[in-house]
Amino acid sequence: MEPNLDELIICRRCETLQKRVELPKKKVAKCIECNEVLYRNIEDSFNKGLAFSITSLILFIIANSFPIITVLITGQINALTIPSMIYSLYNEDFFVVGSIVLVVLVIAPLSVMLSYIIVGVFIKLKIFKSLTRHLIAFLVISKSWEMIDIFTVSILVALVKLFGYAEIHFGLSAVALVLFVIVDIFVLKNIKPVELWTYYSREYCG
Amino acid sequence: MKNRYISCKICESVNLKRDGEIYCRVCKNRITQSKSNSLNSAWAMLITAILFYIIANVYPILVIDKFGIISSNTILEGVIVLWEEGSYPIAIIIFIASVFVPLLKFFLILYILINYKKPRVGSRKMDQSKLYHITEIIGPWSMVDVFVVSILAGVVHVGSVKITAGVGATAFVLMVFFTMLSAMSIDIRLIKEGKDSD
Repeated sequence: MEPNLDELIICRRCETLQKRVELPKKKVAKCIECNEVLYRNIEDSFNKGLAFSITSLILFIIANSFPIITVLITGQINALTIPSMIYSLYNEDFFVVGSIVLVVLVIAPLSVMLSYIIVGVFIKLKIFKSLTRHLIAFLVISKSWEMIDIFTVSILVALVKLFGYAEIHFGLSAVALVLFVIVDIFVLKNIKPVELWTYYSREYCG
Repeated sequence: MKNRYISCKICESVNLKRDGEIYCRVCKNRITQSKSNSLNSAWAMLITAILFYIIANVYPILVIDKFGIISSNTILEGVIVLWEEGSYPIAIIIFIASVFVPLLKFFLILYILINYKKPRVGSRKMDQSKLYHITEIIGPWSMVDVFVVSILAGVVHVGSVKITAGVGATAFVLMVFFTMLSAMSIDIRLIKEGKDSD
């Protein structure tokens, strides 16, 4: 007998085939082999994700508009923002480094947040089914190129290097950046593609 | 029975395995690439990445212009300077992120590429999937050094002291990029197929 394919799931970490079960609320399903979280049943998980992606978009804009740190060296003040950093890389003719930094720090996170928001609106209105499909695929791919969290750790490392030579002040964006990373780790990086697609097929087909 | 199914990379839905190209029944994306294509591109990316890794370690990643005196640091010199200044934790972090992690990733990908054809029993197959998963998680952390150089170059450009990135930084960033591409083009499901198709 042919089992229904929708009732099966393959673990993304260890590739073990297992049967999906109906979950009670607030429970997660874990892989029997490697304990990876397969899918969750959180109330309104899609709406929460949507709310958080709007939050993170606002935080991201703030984090990019004001200095993250200001550095005082030999009487001169320099402010660090992500755009100014990328601009100075281009200015020094480091096009490759500049472009890759631009992709992982600006384009990829923006793609994740914007596609989530647009997908959310489209699914709610039940329009543009095939465009939504492409956007979700785009979101899943962009997710693995986003490195803001690593960048934040790098700021700390850079501060240690600057410590003896310069006076350092944290700017407004430092707070926004840290908040962004928290939302990013707990919500955006935690998006389970399988949940998105379940929601997608339920809303458009069922 | 178990191996009649394949999961889609994009939406993780379960599909029936057939010969030839399969398009996912849910998200309509292509699921399989032919096995040899995927392996060839993984090898090509890996070799490119290794070459860039060598360049990145030979050429300076950071150039410091202090009152007209130009000094430059390669990755290893940077780690040694940090160590001598007494910032041991940071020195260790940079060493692990920029020197050790890329090497580890190269060896893991090599191991998977060399061994994928050999028949293997359950536990070893599991180990390989886990290893692959670990490389995917730690891979991007090599970017720490590039970010640090970019931050320093972005902040320190006053009249007398000026820090710029070096050639090594370009090579390093390309190394990270190609290692990620190589890891992505290894289809983890190939590890499994190696066993069944024999």
